[in-house]
Amino acid sequence: MKWPTLAWRTWRVARTGVFIWGLYKWPSAWQAWGEGDSTHRDRVHERAAQAVLDCALEMRGVIIKTCQAIATRSDVFPKPFVEVLKQCHDSVPACDFTVVRQVVEEELGKPLDTLFAEFDREPLASASLAQVHRARLLDGREVAVKVQYPGLEDLVGLDLTNVQLACRIYEYFDPQPIALLPLLKEITDHLEMELDFTREADNADRVREIFGEGEGVVVPKIYREWSSRRVLTMELVEGIKITDATALEAAGLDLELVVQDLMQIFVRMIFAAGFFQADPHPGNLMVQPNRDTVVLDYGLCKQLPDGFGMGLFELLFSMMTVNESAMVRAFTELGFQTADGDTDVLLMIARRMIGRSDTGRFEGEFTEEMTDELFEAIRENPLVDVPTDFVLVGRVFTFLSGIAHTLGHRANVLAAMGAGA
Amino acid sequence: MSETPLHTDHLNRSSDSRTDYSFEELLDDGQYAEPLIANGVRCHGGFDEDGRYRSPRTRHRLPAIATWQAALQESGGELLEISKALIPPQYPNVDQAILLCRHGVRDPVVRALTVISVVEGFGAVIRDVKLPDFDRSLVEPIEGTALAHLGQGLFEAHARDEAGWGEQGGHKQMWEAARDLAFENPKIPQDVLMRIMGGGGRRARKRERLFPQIDETLESMIMMLSNVLLVEIFAEQVFSWGHAVLSNPEISAEPDRASAMVSYIQSDENPHVEYLRVALSELAGRTIRTVDDKTLPGREVVFGMLHALLSQMTRTRPEEQKDQAQESLHAALQGLENRQSIEEEFRSLETVWAPPATTGFEPLSAEL
Repeated sequence: MKWPTLAWRTWRVARTGVFIWGLYKWPSAWQAWGEGDSTHRDRVHERAAQAVLDCALEMRGVIIKTCQAIATRSDVFPKPFVEVLKQCHDSVPACDFTVVRQVVEEELGKPLDTLFAEFDREPLASASLAQVHRARLLDGREVAVKVQYPGLEDLVGLDLTNVQLACRIYEYFDPQPIALLPLLKEITDHLEMELDFTREADNADRVREIFGEGEGVVVPKIYREWSSRRVLTMELVEGIKITDATALEAAGLDLELVVQDLMQIFVRMIFAAGFFQADPHPGNLMVQPNRDTVVLDYGLCKQLPDGFGMGLFELLFSMMTVNESAMVRAFTELGFQTADGDTDVLLMIARRMIGRSDTGRFEGEFTEEMTDELFEAIRENPLVDVPTDFVLVGRVFTFLSGIAHTLGHRANVLAAMGAGA
Repeated sequence: MSETPLHTDHLNRSSDSRTDYSFEELLDDGQYAEPLIANGVRCHGGFDEDGRYRSPRTRHRLPAIATWQAALQESGGELLEISKALIPPQYPNVDQAILLCRHGVRDPVVRALTVISVVEGFGAVIRDVKLPDFDRSLVEPIEGTALAHLGQGLFEAHARDEAGWGEQGGHKQMWEAARDLAFENPKIPQDVLMRIMGGGGRRARKRERLFPQIDETLESMIMMLSNVLLVEIFAEQVFSWGHAVLSNPEISAEPDRASAMVSYIQSDENPHVEYLRVALSELAGRTIRTVDDKTLPGREVVFGMLHALLSQMTRTRPEEQKDQAQESLHAALQGLENRQSIEEEFRSLETVWAPPATTGFEPLSAEL
């Protein structure tokens, strides 16, 4: 890596860090804090988050990914922060085609023209780590080629070191710091997974094995001969975006069944198989006219520990039957921990989650409001340690609930499980 | 219609013969001399002063059901009966389960008991059944019937019996207790939920409408009541199987306590069977108003649904259950030296069963 790049990236992170530090420590900010002016406090959070977002969009890659991870952790970060950083999920400007060509040729060791009969210059989509192009293999098969932005792996170490340093300084000076370093470790682990496309190919194959032929789940085939750590070539599958209700109905699809299919697919991956695609945002899900559900992007998949699915089932079940001691038992089995072993906090969290449902009783839908309530309760009780697996699962159900509501239905987890019972 | 009517003697008619009950009354437990603690978990129900088990929420529910049944019959209605001959055997059967446990292969039995407990827990969904506008859908009134009380306590009591409520466990926790007592807190096979959610071919389906001419909510409710009734009746095999396996001192660490738990559950299930029978019978004896303002005998709809469900449950489902059990058996026997001989003996103990030619609810044209 060139020295100017290294120096610029370090300076950019440092500048953002200092700005945020000043923002929070500025006397007037403190004063407002002390008086409990939540509007002012939210404005400070928003300005800080905007500074982080600006930095991320300028530096791209790893920092954007970090912001995306922060945007999923409303259990740790203030709501205005999370809301601003959610913008990172929107499409990222694409890279120039010459750069894409260079990566593909370097990775696959041959000129592009000898690998593909056609290769679209304009990407189908672009995201934080890669962009996807439509192409055609020499034998005529249509494919989607995912190409990682160049230099990301080199930048990961540097950017993470910079962010880590900023976190350490923050934790050293702040009397009551948010525990950012464990979060950073989690982000690093996920990044390592997402940057290696051979791992993504393995994940896709593994998810495909969970579902048999004719079960209505489409996982694009991976063409390993045209794939590497930074290039992933897969079958091009088409479909209607899962949140496009008008197009789905125009294709004669029953929206209620679309939601039920989707829930059964994810419930089966999470509860039964213990291995799941952990990023089901609407851009990664499509429905074909025959009602098959297409699940894309296996960069972030998660293997759950043994017994986690059963523990999660017991938690949902105990919430449904308002059995408080069973809720606490389930939280503990899932890996929730309190600093002093006091389980009353867990009980309070469970009650708040149930209180967020429409009826004051859990009916099986893990809504965004309930997840927000859970994370808010945890943020108010920082002595509670939340297992990252649970955070990921909660995030998945939040996505699914959002999709279900967009289609005018509900994402009932227990009903999806009970469909086979 | 029925070869072997189900036992109903335990239902004592209310002394005051009233037919209307409040929600609270139908959920009332009455007093217990001693609560039921199942393997350390407080469960519903309890024991009277003579040490006899008393099911939960039955203080008024049992006499109410008996009164509704009597009222139906006194008014010339027919209380429908399901022939026991239609109940397929449990797979693996008692001898097969004991054989496996004798050889130290406990996973299939532990899995079966866990699946039963989870499925019992899902019984709570009955509280979410949508009720139709009876005044609009039926010609005759329903005051003073079980039908009028479905949403007034009967569904809720049923849901709580199955899944538990608050700090009191229900059948889910009682089956777990029976399993854990007998097999000393066994390790739960990881694939239990996969088994429940199905290994293949499952995707959401729009339920096929058998009677599109009637209100959809009414049809869904009748289908649900019929389905649950048959599941409850077919569970009789599960109870006798569970009792026989868990009371066998050769394989059960706590034969008395574990099998007693099964007996308590079975006794709790009786009111479920009886209220569902009487509610469906009340519907069968009424006239259904169709969506285009014509009428249809309720019997045609209720019997039509029971026939469709029974045909499917006695033909397809036993085979599905057998395939799943064999798959888990195959996995459990992997690596055992005497695997072949166990498999041979297992096959030799198989119960031969064929469903009866008729369900007893054939459409009128088929009966003729």
